[in-house]
Amino acid sequence: MIKHIVIAAAAALSLSACAPYMNLGSSELDNARKAVADAKAAGAEKCAPKLQAEAVASLYWAAHEVTERGVHPDENAELIATAIAKANAARAKAIKGCTPEIIKLEGVYFDNDSAKLRPASVATLDKAVATLNRRATIKVEVAAHTDSSGSDAYNLSLSERRAASVRDYLVAHGIDAARLTSKGYGETQPIASNATKEGRAKNRRVELRVMN
Amino acid sequence: MRILFMLTALLAFALPAQAKLFTSIEERSDAITAELQGNNNYHANLARELASIASEEKGQHDLGAARVFIKMAEEEAAKAGGAK
Repeated sequence: MIKHIVIAAAAALSLSACAPYMNLGSSELDNARKAVADAKAAGAEKCAPKLQAEAVASLYWAAHEVTERGVHPDENAELIATAIAKANAARAKAIKGCTPEIIKLEGVYFDNDSAKLRPASVATLDKAVATLNRRATIKVEVAAHTDSSGSDAYNLSLSERRAASVRDYLVAHGIDAARLTSKGYGETQPIASNATKEGRAKNRRVELRVMN
Repeated sequence: MRILFMLTALLAFALPAQAKLFTSIEERSDAITAELQGNNNYHANLARELASIASEEKGQHDLGAARVFIKMAEEEAAKAGGAK
């Protein structure tokens, strides 16, 4: 008797763990599934990660709602429409052009007109080391930028030396050199106006660009 | 007989713990948010979205669905590589 109870309890537990909470194969989701797959094929996971994630999440949610047939028909139609719209937007963005994922290094400071790292940069750079250790498969470019003060040539050279300096720090702290490249962009890629002090401070920056 | 009781007890206590049934959806969702702070890759975004759906489902008293979504969120978070 007890044996039967134990078997029945185990079976019930196993079945409840596999309850059909999702039906991704439902024909109601055909268009949404196709839109998500097309976006993925266009590179949306890399080029439009937020939009593609929103599309996939809406698809999964709709796949759950279809299992509750007739309970939330309006909500489900809206989820399917959202999945398609987001996936199409992600696909369009991916086709238009892919910018690499950027890991911002906020708080990297150098001596004036120099590539020598200030001690205040250590906390930020150690975080970067931890990130690269955690995401052990990514390869990154250390990209350094300047503001527009000074000549183009000088700024390019300074940014190259600063990028190399950060790369050296990462290598010295255990990151495989084969995973890292460095590049200086000088003043060519501002993210704010160089007309104001605040804008120039934003433009002087170092970031990691994920290359794979 | 004693072995049967021990096995039953093991099933009763180990399975829910393994499935994180003793940790609330909100706690698991908060852990994902904290873990992925500053991480904006695809898997991190999807993990956050799924955790949010889990909370919504729990709010609608669909605990089964909430558990499924939070588990999916945790799997995506693991793929995301953690916080930046």
